[in-house]
Amino acid sequence: MARVKLTEYKAKQLLYHALGKKYLGTPATPEGYQMPHNGPFVLKVDQGIKGRMKKGLVELEIQKDKLPDALMRLSKKGYSQFIIEPMVKHDPSQERYLSLERTREGIVVRYAKVGGIDIESMKDRVEEVILNSKFEYRNPKQAPNSNDQITQKISEELAVPINFMHQLLNFFERQYISFLEINPLVVKQNTSPLRGTPLRKRRIKSPLTRGVDFDVESKDGVFILDLAVEVDSTAEFFTKTWTSADIVEDSVKSPEELAIKKLNDQSQAALSFTLLNSEGLLWVLLSGGGASITIADEAYNMGFGKELANYGEYSGNPNDDETYEYTCNLIDSMMKSSRRRLMLIIGGGVANFTDIGKTFKGVIKALEKNKKRLKKKEIKIFVRRGGPNQKNGLKLMEKWLRENDMYGIVAGPELPLHEIMKLAINSSKKHA
Amino acid sequence: MLNIQKIRSKKQSIIALGSHIPILQSILDFDYLAGKEGPSVIAIIASGRKNVRLFWGEKDVLIPVYPTLAHLPASVKNEITLFLNLTSGRRVLSSTVELLDSLPNLLGGALFAENVPEKHSIEIFNKIKPGSRIKSGMTSGQFIVGPASVGLMIPGHLKLGAIAGTDAEQLMDSHVFEPGSVAVFSSSGGMTGELIRLVTTVQKRISFSLSFGGDRFPILTPVEAFLAAEHDPQTKHIVYFGELGGYDEYELVDLIKQKKVTKPIITYIGGTISAMFEKPPQFGHAKAMASRGEETAQAKTKALKSVGVKAAQSFEEFIDFVKKIKIKDNIPLPDGNPHVKRALRLLEGGLKNDLPYEGSTERSEGRDVQKVLSKMQQRTHALFMNSISQDKDGSVEIVGEEMLSMATKRSFGHIVGSMLLGRQLKSKDTAEFIELIMKLLVDHGPYVSGAINTMIAARAGKDLVSSLASGLLTIGPRFGGAINQAAQHWLEGVAESIDPDEYVERSAKQNKRISGIGHRKYRVDTPDPRVNVILTFAKKLNKSPYTLFAKSIEAVTTAKKANLILNVDGAIAAVLLDVLSQKEKISPEELQELINIEFFNALFVLSRSVGFTAHYLDQRRKDEGLFRLSPKEVGFAE
Repeated sequence: MARVKLTEYKAKQLLYHALGKKYLGTPATPEGYQMPHNGPFVLKVDQGIKGRMKKGLVELEIQKDKLPDALMRLSKKGYSQFIIEPMVKHDPSQERYLSLERTREGIVVRYAKVGGIDIESMKDRVEEVILNSKFEYRNPKQAPNSNDQITQKISEELAVPINFMHQLLNFFERQYISFLEINPLVVKQNTSPLRGTPLRKRRIKSPLTRGVDFDVESKDGVFILDLAVEVDSTAEFFTKTWTSADIVEDSVKSPEELAIKKLNDQSQAALSFTLLNSEGLLWVLLSGGGASITIADEAYNMGFGKELANYGEYSGNPNDDETYEYTCNLIDSMMKSSRRRLMLIIGGGVANFTDIGKTFKGVIKALEKNKKRLKKKEIKIFVRRGGPNQKNGLKLMEKWLRENDMYGIVAGPELPLHEIMKLAINSSKKHA
Repeated sequence: MLNIQKIRSKKQSIIALGSHIPILQSILDFDYLAGKEGPSVIAIIASGRKNVRLFWGEKDVLIPVYPTLAHLPASVKNEITLFLNLTSGRRVLSSTVELLDSLPNLLGGALFAENVPEKHSIEIFNKIKPGSRIKSGMTSGQFIVGPASVGLMIPGHLKLGAIAGTDAEQLMDSHVFEPGSVAVFSSSGGMTGELIRLVTTVQKRISFSLSFGGDRFPILTPVEAFLAAEHDPQTKHIVYFGELGGYDEYELVDLIKQKKVTKPIITYIGGTISAMFEKPPQFGHAKAMASRGEETAQAKTKALKSVGVKAAQSFEEFIDFVKKIKIKDNIPLPDGNPHVKRALRLLEGGLKNDLPYEGSTERSEGRDVQKVLSKMQQRTHALFMNSISQDKDGSVEIVGEEMLSMATKRSFGHIVGSMLLGRQLKSKDTAEFIELIMKLLVDHGPYVSGAINTMIAARAGKDLVSSLASGLLTIGPRFGGAINQAAQHWLEGVAESIDPDEYVERSAKQNKRISGIGHRKYRVDTPDPRVNVILTFAKKLNKSPYTLFAKSIEAVTTAKKANLILNVDGAIAAVLLDVLSQKEKISPEELQELINIEFFNALFVLSRSVGFTAHYLDQRRKDEGLFRLSPKEVGFAE
């Protein structure tokens, strides 16, 4: 449903293949890895984190026997996915910057003759050009188009073969990439930018790489040291080259978050859930992208942002089994809190096609199942929702909440959207 | 580009891709309650059925379903001005491109699906960009709302999508039948509904409303919507709910600076909560992730404020701004509405003053509307739909004509033809030809399979209906059922404008007989006299392409073998195709439909029933006893 990061390992595997190069990196976890060759190596955290070098998440020039120690050091910082690559020694002057971003107007290319960890401070040296949106990859034999001049210029400036540029753009299009950044891009050899073949064809055994077959890793002397790739998650069906398993998990998820993610993957509807503060006062079960933000905003606007325990929403007319599962997971999460007298806000705007009667049926079933636990924690529930079959859904909800002494309020569209959060917060103040 | 006044100025006809019953029904309910003469949805592309049954008010109505766009009759293609694409995210690009390439009078449409790749949205965006070439004869410049959009609403005129709700009560509560002057936009479908409700609750009315959808690259951009509002004479005010993520609001700021948008605007940019987190979660919509400072709700609100937009800091302030809109849509507040009463008490006294939830019970539109609504809520679907006959005012009406007057004034040919087509015949010639066929097919001697089976059953002592049925059950591909197949040949041949030699050659290669050609008895030198009579009829027509094609096929086949002549089945099929297309104005697509449902065989079945019945009665009169063959007559194959 959005832009997501591929692991660097997967991204490089795909890009090297597209460039006709062989990739020598290997993935690693704290449990182990497959040794690719002799080293020395670079060990990096592969969890989509920016500025790894400055955060100390990269270990350079590690010999084979020191790898387990290095892995241990990074694991202790709380990371679980790594990448091991051959160490490519180079001079800082050989570093370049290159990124591509998909926009409505076309592919924005940003490039600089400099690169590396300090690129942020050298922003003024980064050139920005746009390849018009009718960009398609052509082989160089075809007649030139308006984008050719631009790609030609970039290849000359960066001293990379023109073929590299074509293959990179082709890769960008075919893999439905939204954003791609190579930093640094290291260009070591004197190459002919026009024809894309290195001037010296003999195999190079560089003393710096100590035994790594340089030729295999990069025939043209172009090295992709760090690569960040964001793909469009909706394109998995069209590319079939990467799957959701190749997408970076940005943080450690709770079992309930994982359960809801699984529920979402199997559903036609959209269901999301993020735990923000497991000790928060305000728990939300919201529907609709815009309405959920509005209700969450109100907590922030009233100075209760830190009390927001979770964010999430369901939309697209889930069935009652799905809202049941969703609510059960939300309640499980709530029950782990050490606090009592928590507020649960069941909120949403005036739905267009989501059946309120049906979705609330699942929610009420989940409340009924967890009745004892909820009562013990003295939960109060605040409801505001509208849409098809709202009268039925709201009536059932009101009845259940009153009978079980959890009634905060049940309201339809007569109550302004954000007011539901306000009523819950004000009620909690009186409680305290 | 979106031009609201242009859409408002004419009746619009919608094609739906895929069938999402609650949404389509809500469009028909909207049309009905808005007082339109008929549904705005005129065609559905879907598989499986020929019609989708929906309600028009309390009654059932059938909306035609076509398997693909290629199956749409030309007249329908030309009539369609808007589309509603309800297919899945995977199919949106291909199906939308097909729509744009095949519908000449398309003004625009809406995409409902979530999960459309951003690359595909951009491709569609570029395809309809003014000035880009779509296909020869097709122009660009359409508007497309979405993906992931609930669509476009023009109160009292158009509902294109789920927008403003899917049940009639919701539509009533949202006052979308009373046009006003406030334009409402949001990425979020839910918030669009919410905002419509908010604006109408504070006694203003909507000029038009749409939802962009929560994707990163909506095809119809906020800029396009704001410009449409600026150019719409009915719109006096704009209400916009934006979200964190993306740069759309900065483009709006530029438009305001350049004085391209001058109408007053009220906004709320949701997502201030995002400032709480070092690493914000992905909010509900794909684009709702602020990766840079300018994309935050706070930054965008500030930028909008700087150019004079009433950009609210909170939703509460936003509601306050909306309440204060000074325009003449003001409609008096209904007294005693329990909704309003409860809301006011809650706001003033908090939870202490709470009343039980009652749901909405009264509306400003008054009692009549309430009555219509409660009728609509109680409606149920009929078990069958038919277009042949009905009881009306105590007597029976057949294809729209009172039965007795029909029996006395109309020919039998007219009655049969009208009933078989499901509508009154337009031409006397058709009636005359059908009567001629009915007479010609009534019997063709006692030696044919169907007559023999009838006689055998009669001699076995079976009753009338059983004997007739055994004769009728004999009708099939080899006996009597060839008219339909022959019609298929002639229809195909003319549609492909294929050379007759080639057609015959092709059939021979496929080892297929051409139905309607060949006779056991008659030859080219001793022709079937019935065929002559039938073909003479074609001379009454200005054009007779099917008959000409059938005869040209005969010319090829008789050159090969003298008995491969055009037979009665082939001649009837050819002339009937010509009569129906010339005199009844039935399109080739509809003729194909008639073949598919065996219309052409129906005439044989009806007429020959007379013959079979006669043979039955005759055998009963003779009463010769059970018929049996001897071993000599049924050989034994080793």
